[in-house]
Parts: sequence; C-alpha cells; structure tokens
Amino acid sequence: MKMPDEMPPLGPIDPGQLPLLKAPDSIWRSIEAALDAKRKPRTNLFAAWRWATAALVVIGAVSWYATRPELPSWQVSRLEGSAAVNKIKVGEWLQTDGNSRARITVGDIGVVDVEPNTRIRLVAASSTEHRLTLARGEISATVSAPPRLFLVDTPASTAVDLGCAYKIKTDEKGDGVLRVTSGWVSLEWKGRESLVPAGANCRTRSGTGPGTPYFEDAPQALQQALAAFDFGKGGEESLRTILSQARVRDTLSLWHVLSRVEPRDRVRVMERMVELVPLPAGVVREKALQLDPAALKSWREELAWKW
Amino acid sequence: MEMVKTTLLAVVLATASASGKDFSLTIGNPVAVALPDGVNPVVKKKDAGMAVRVENCADVASSHVTATAEGIVNGARRSVPLRLVAATTLGAYAVSRDWPWEGAWVVHLTGHCGASTASAVVPFGPNGFIREASKFFPRAATAAEVEAVLKTLSGGAQ
Repeated sequence: MKMPDEMPPLGPIDPGQLPLLKAPDSIWRSIEAALDAKRKPRTNLFAAWRWATAALVVIGAVSWYATRPELPSWQVSRLEGSAAVNKIKVGEWLQTDGNSRARITVGDIGVVDVEPNTRIRLVAASSTEHRLTLARGEISATVSAPPRLFLVDTPASTAVDLGCAYKIKTDEKGDGVLRVTSGWVSLEWKGRESLVPAGANCRTRSGTGPGTPYFEDAPQALQQALAAFDFGKGGEESLRTILSQARVRDTLSLWHVLSRVEPRDRVRVMERMVELVPLPAGVVREKALQLDPAALKSWREELAWKW
Repeated sequence: MEMVKTTLLAVVLATASASGKDFSLTIGNPVAVALPDGVNPVVKKKDAGMAVRVENCADVASSHVTATAEGIVNGARRSVPLRLVAATTLGAYAVSRDWPWEGAWVVHLTGHCGASTASAVVPFGPNGFIREASKFFPRAATAAEVEAVLKTLSGGAQ
C-alpha cells in the first residue's frame, strides 16, 4: 500500500479536495475475516459453565426438597362432618365448619377434640413443647404428660396442662371459659395465674385474662359476684357477696381472691378463709397476708384437701 | 397404791382409746398431693381419681391404706382393686382411677394405724367424687354399708 506523500491540507477541507484511493484487497480480507469471526456461534467455556451451574442449582434444590426434614405434624381424624384433613403440620391451621368435628392426636401424649366452628393452629410439636393456638371455638383436651408440656394459647390466656383433661372455649376477642374435668390446669396471662382443679371453671376476658376459678356447684350468687369482681368492677358489694356465699370448698376461689383484692381487704378475706378452714400449722398468718409465695403455696396444698 | 395403779391404767387405756377413735381418713382433690419425682406422669394427677391421707396416726410410717372400686355396670356388680401412689407427704396417697367410666362406682378406702382401723365409702359422679355423699367410719365399713352407698348412687344415676 502506498499513501500520498503530500502534507495534509491546512484549514477546512472542501468535498472533493481529498484524493480517492482504492483500498488494498488485504484490508477487505481482514475485515471479512473479522466479521466472520463475530458471526460464528460461541462455543466458549463461559456458556458451558453457566449451564453446569444452573444444573447444579436445580439438582441441589431437588435433593434438598426430597431429603428435607419433615415438619413435625399430628394426625387429624374426622369425628363428624366434612373435615377432610388427615394431618396438621407446625404452622398450619385447622378449621371446622358448623357441622364438623375433628380429633387431633397430640403426638403420643393425648388427643384434642375440635368442636364445630373452631379455628386452631399447631404452633409447636417438639419433645419439650406441644403448643396450639385456639383462635376461636372450642376444644376438649385429654393429656397424659409431664406438667407444662402441653399448652393452648387463646386471645386472652394460655392454658398450661398440669396433667389433666379439660374443655376450653373462646371467641376471637378472648372471652371464654375453661372447664377442667380431671387433674388441673394453670390459666396464665401477663403475670396473672389461676389454678383450676377438676370440677372447677374459670372465665377469661379480653384485656383482663383469667378470672377467679370456682367450682361448678358453687352458689349462683357466688359465681355472679366473682364475675363482677373479676370483670365488672364489682367493688365492695361483690366482695361482700363472695365472702358471705363461700362454702368450705370455695376456699379455692377465696385463695385466689386473697391476692387480687386491695391490701386493706386482705384481712377480711383471710378471716373468712380461716373461719371456713383453720389455718394449717405450717402457715404463718403474716406471711400469707404479705402474699409470700411459699406461705400461699403451703396453704393452698392444705386447702386442696377440702376441694 | 393399788388405787393409783388402777387410776393410771384407766388413764392410759382412755388415752389409747381416744387416740384410736381419732384415727380417720381424709379425702381430697388429687391436686392436694404432690407425688415424688420419677413417678410415671401417667399415674400422676390426671389419672388420680382422688387423694386420701391418714389423720391422727401416732406412727404414720407404719400406717397403710387400701382401696377398691365397687360398681354396678349394666346391672352387674363389679369390684376393681385400685393402685395407691404414695405422695411426698407421709401417709398421703393418690388413688388411681382404674375403674371404667360407664356404670355407677364408689371407692371403698380402708386405713390402718397400729390396731386402729378407719374407712370411707366415696361415691363418684361424672365430675369426680361427691364429698357430701361420702360416708366415713371409725372402723372398717361393712359390706352392707358399701352396698348402701352404691345403691343410693346407682339409684340416683339411673
């Protein structure tokens, strides 16, 4: 190739001022070669690695899915109606309609019967905790297990199994009732605790939690006064009725009321309790009035012989 | 001297007699007893129908209690021996609920403290034992006394 030996012109160049030269063939060949190279499919290593990586990801995902640990679950059987579920896993909900009843087998420790119009969720199913959430409706639980292993949360309480059989009912707000038929249950909510033995009931209310437990055969006036005392700001009138209506067996209710009245009223409650059942030898009156946990526990254990 | 001896003997006998008369059984809700660690939870409170303890026994360690469930199921008389699980408190027991749910049943408890015997016949309803209808005796209950409580219960239940 030979280029003109002249100096380039100074200043603007007008069209036609530059000479036209034919490009050598070698240039066209090299351009075509370069264009061909671009047009060829790229069978390079990068593309191969992309496919290999994708394949590995897919294989990994399938393997994980196939061998992943199964979420704990409990068996569900239909008692009535159209409940078609046969298993409930941790995190899942079970809901019955107005005509359906179902039975959940709680691991190897018991059963929970789910009544119509009930919504319930399995929260935990481990060796240290079996836990359900009852959003609304009613269940009957029969459990043979160490205390505090089986728990049911409702919107206004947690029913802690202390070795028992019971029914618990609640609406979406948390208004409901617990009825214990065997053993006993601790009904807990934000530091408030009600111990409910067999034959006793305990109401729950939204915003308050568990009320005072009472025996099913307690006088109606006592039951109503307890409801007013717990949830209706019953005040002095309800307390007076509670104290006058309580029988020996109702020391169950009085024992709970003792720690829920104003300090100035504690002596009145205690005097009524002692009137019904003499203070046991091992319980110091002053300690009980100060709500000393050990004194209250000893007293409760002795009172339980009268329940 | 002879008179003093006689008086002393009379006092001793009277004391022994009074002490023997005082020996009794108390029944309670199963929650009244704490069972020792290691007891199978299945026989813990859930399966305990009731609790029982001996009262006024000078030698509690040597006292003992036995229990049977006496029932009528579909017209047939049944008898079931019951297990008693000793509680952490000496002389107190959880009585296992080993009888069927159908039929009418009473629990017949007999306690011994030295030469003294006391007993109780405790009827059961659907919600547990019925304290008000229970019968307590400062001696062994007779078969007729057990049958009488059972008959009252089954008559009421049917």
